Amino acid sequence: MQYEAPQTLDAAVALLADARGAARVLAGGTDLLVQLRSGAIEPDLVVDIKRIDELKKITAEDGGYRIGAAVSGAELGEHEGVRALWPGVVEATELIGSTQVQGRATMAGNLCNASPAADSVPAMVAADATARIVGPDGVRDTSVRDVATGPGQTSLGRGEIVVSIFLPARPARSGDAYLRFIPRTEMDIAVVGAAVSVSLDDEGTCVAARVSLGAVAARVLLVDEGARVLIGTKLDDDALQALAAAASAACSPINDKRGTIEFRTDVAGVLARRAAQTAFERAKG
Amino acid sequence: MNQVDTSPNAIPNVNLRQVGKNKPRNDSPTKVYGKAIYAGDLIMDDMLFAKVLHSDRACADIKSIDVSVAKTLPGVHSVLTADDLPATNAVMTDMPGQVGGGTKNTKQPILAKERVRFYGEPIALVAAESYELAQRALDLIVVDYEDTEGVYDAFDAQKPDAPIVYGNDNIVAAYKVRKGDIEKGFQEADFVLENTYSSQYQEQAFLEPEAAVAWVDEHDILNIRSSTQVVEHFRAVADALGMPHNKVHLQAPYVGGGFGGKEVMTIEVWLALLAMDAQRPVKLKQTRENSFISHGPRHPFTITHKTGVTKDGKITAAKITLTSDAGAYAKLSPYILLYATVGATGPYRVDNLWIDSTSAATNNLPTCAYRGFGTMQATTACEAQMEELSKLIGLDSLEFRRKNFIQTGDPNATGQIIRSAVWSDQCATKAREALGDKPKSTEHTVYGHGLACYQQSYGRIRWMKDTSESWVGLEMDGTLIVRCAVTDIGAGQMSALAQIAGEVLGVPMEEITVYFGDGHVNPLAGTSTASRALYMTGKATELAAKNVRNNLFECMAEYFDVRPEELDLGDSKVFVQDNPERCMSVKDMAKHCAAQGVHRHSLEIYRAPPSEGLDPETGQGEVFPDFTYGAHAATVAVDTDTGEVTVIKSVGAHDVGQSINRQAVEGQIEGSALMGQGFALSEELILEKGVLKNGSFSEYLIPTSEDVPEIESIILESRSGLGPFGSKGIGEPVFSPVAASIVNAVADAIGTRIHHLPLTPEKVLTAINEEKTKEAAE
Ligand SMILES: Cc1cc2nc3c(=O)[nH]c(=O)nc-3n(C[C@H](O)[C@H](O)[C@H](O)COP(=O)(O)OP(=O)(O)OC[C@H]3O[C@@H](n4cnc5c(N)ncnc54)[C@H](O)[C@@H]3O)c2cc1C
Repeated sequence: MQYEAPQTLDAAVALLADARGAARVLAGGTDLLVQLRSGAIEPDLVVDIKRIDELKKITAEDGGYRIGAAVSGAELGEHEGVRALWPGVVEATELIGSTQVQGRATMAGNLCNASPAADSVPAMVAADATARIVGPDGVRDTSVRDVATGPGQTSLGRGEIVVSIFLPARPARSGDAYLRFIPRTEMDIAVVGAAVSVSLDDEGTCVAARVSLGAVAARVLLVDEGARVLIGTKLDDDALQALAAAASAACSPINDKRGTIEFRTDVAGVLARRAAQTAFERAKG
Repeated sequence: MNQVDTSPNAIPNVNLRQVGKNKPRNDSPTKVYGKAIYAGDLIMDDMLFAKVLHSDRACADIKSIDVSVAKTLPGVHSVLTADDLPATNAVMTDMPGQVGGGTKNTKQPILAKERVRFYGEPIALVAAESYELAQRALDLIVVDYEDTEGVYDAFDAQKPDAPIVYGNDNIVAAYKVRKGDIEKGFQEADFVLENTYSSQYQEQAFLEPEAAVAWVDEHDILNIRSSTQVVEHFRAVADALGMPHNKVHLQAPYVGGGFGGKEVMTIEVWLALLAMDAQRPVKLKQTRENSFISHGPRHPFTITHKTGVTKDGKITAAKITLTSDAGAYAKLSPYILLYATVGATGPYRVDNLWIDSTSAATNNLPTCAYRGFGTMQATTACEAQMEELSKLIGLDSLEFRRKNFIQTGDPNATGQIIRSAVWSDQCATKAREALGDKPKSTEHTVYGHGLACYQQSYGRIRWMKDTSESWVGLEMDGTLIVRCAVTDIGAGQMSALAQIAGEVLGVPMEEITVYFGDGHVNPLAGTSTASRALYMTGKATELAAKNVRNNLFECMAEYFDVRPEELDLGDSKVFVQDNPERCMSVKDMAKHCAAQGVHRHSLEIYRAPPSEGLDPETGQGEVFPDFTYGAHAATVAVDTDTGEVTVIKSVGAHDVGQSINRQAVEGQIEGSALMGQGFALSEELILEKGVLKNGSFSEYLIPTSEDVPEIESIILESRSGLGPFGSKGIGEPVFSPVAASIVNAVADAIGTRIHHLPLTPEKVLTAINEEKTKEAAE
């Protein structure tokens, strides 16, 4: 296995595009190294992107933030601007692993690993984030929703790298939140994850909403019906009840040792409701 | 000071200088600075690295094993299968104490020959120049299996047509207790309550997976430096290899936790075989994943209690059946079943008693020793039943327990009269008080308080005739040395001996050197198991130190012209009690006594009280040296929408007899609080037809540091134990009631009981919803 740590994006893309066998990008390595060690993957080339300066930055852009693919969870968590604008995305990313893992793990890696239970992804989907992808054919932007296509599968082409995640600007009186369910406090894979983002008008009525669920289907879900039942309400009990029902209805989980279909479906509704309440409180300021 | 106890065993209050104080342990600095050398840290010239081929089937015939290609791999020095082993191919998995070798029933094949009986059974051993090479060699071994029909349930295993895993009938052990008249007892009852409780597999999850290095030295002695709780296994290694006992040297450096998982032999015999075959040093460190299948987890138990009580809360009769799953080999299952049988009635007096207990073999993982050793599972069931009984008769659950607690002088389940203090009531009262008021329920959170008491033995089964030796000596410069082959498995075993010798001889513990863990240069001390290490090795050390003190006092009495009883030792000085000005430093005393030819060393033996076993028909007899009593209480919060349980407060209150080191006692209570919490809420090995499905720390959920609740340790000291200064064993006792208290707290919070552990969110949510449906229907 060959290991490369190029200093420019062009060099990284070239290495990946020209690789003869299987090639992998290495960001924090908190998924990749585990998979390497267990023998689940055996790449011929590993390209470390942490030496590429432009991938290590968080930059303000059009009222939102562009987060480089090599920014760790810990660095993101220390960024006041992102915290203030998208607290739900930051809290979701900070849930990944432990303090040690936070020092390495990236949002882009969480996205590209394509686990349906990835914690930061529902929050990014609720935020309507965009992934910027650079490859042999140039640059393209795509919705984060379209990066993972199934467990462990992505839409990335040969030689393509996610270089940044863009979290857009949002109106005043907006808020987001992410909650996940695991049987202990930390260090486990989500049984269910739920993210909600809302924007309110001056009266406190919800005018825009996005609801996203993780670990309840082969991909992270965007639950349009959940958003629809919130819009036009002040997130009263009826609206929250309807949201919970919509969230549960959207689920098509699997049975496994972490949870049964019934439990996951049930808890998805509970978490969506609670995340919506928190997002709503944050939006009110 | 605590109240004074009046039990026959109690010793009067004495003024202690070091014992019972909150002192940093002697082993802390080396561990904190990362200097301590563990078994897997040792590096030797020419060392090879070993890997083990574990079966990936639970029940299969082995048609053939082809190692021919693996053997040709350059850098591979030894590939062993059953065909290469001594014809007996058997290793003893018993813990014989002083009474000699184990019975044939506790032998297990070293490597599987024609058949594998459980998932993970070892099949082949490889030693090579590196772990990578050893792994490649393993990958080249071809095992041709043919799956056969297995049995995966302890009840199915007892059916007439069950596949046979063990003996003629899969029964690994069975006990009965027949006491009083249960017919009459049930007639006297106003209420009879019957419930079945069951518990799961639990993994020891020690920090340090099995590790050892073995080599043959220039005297043809086979040396093994291993992470073990029991250096006396040198005998079993020698027997397995057909060698004389004095040609095998097993030593334990600091051990990174055992909890029973390193009690029966783990990897030592494999390494011994490889080192003998390759005639080079060989190291093996199990990966975490392989560690899950390299020792036996906790036995799952199914326990049915049928209890009769009067309306004022007196237990009149109990009929109890216990069934444990022993897995494919006996290991320590018979002993564990016995502990569960003795512990079935908890710390309560039941005069009309009928117990049947059975341990059955299956093709599941062989289960073995784990902190609490059957008593813990029995306690968990018993305490649930106590709570349900008090609910049934409408009595406060502590009030109900008070009416039934065993008192000093009472017989327990096997008719053994308790001679030490029984402070169940004091401990339970204090533990419950410490919880304070129950928080008020909120929108989707309900709270519960739970309490559990126990009776847990310390010291090994009496017919093992357990002994421990220790040596204490005063050097010419006045420094002290203790030699005692106790294994230090992280609980402060080594440090406690320094504190004890220091107390007796008036020298600060931190100045004392203790040589431990190596039974070929230090006197054999027995196992660090069964909550006996401090009790037995501490007692032997206390006795040896007292001998030295007597010898010194005899000489110094002459010097000061007083009687020996008038002298004392403290602050590194010998002095006349009534006139402390008349003193001499320990340093000068050592010189003085040496010049007089005084014997400044002593080797002592402590013998636990023996007995001759149980009456097989009635189950009556003396099983253990003594018991520890206490209580644990917990407050939990339950999320009624998700079923998630959070432990908010966890309080252990225990009569430890006499704490030797308070910090170490608190450490035991705090560690127990978490280990018991894991058992109550999240830990469970999942086996599907014997195949382990969650053998890794990403799938098997132990509590993490984020799950630690507020923990309070309440230490009571009756000074009535058999250990040094009246101490009792605490390693297991403080753990046994924890899960039960949390389970009872959950029942209190949600108003209904879940009978099968662990209480996963899913089970709790289902129970809450069922309860809601029931209430709606009423
Ligand atoms: C102990 C532990 C606990 C964990 N806990 C959690 C948790 O609570 N929640 C959770 O969601 N995850 C958890 N994880 C998984 C992991 O930490 C996260 O998925 C993390 O975000 C991965 O980021 P990374 O930078 O380490 O990715 P890497 O391991 O470097 O990469 C992951 C995958 O994405 C690809 N990749 C990475 N970056 C790019 C890129 N820029 N462009 C294209 N492909 C790329 C890699 O080739 C690889 O296939 C845990 C992992 C460990 C070891």
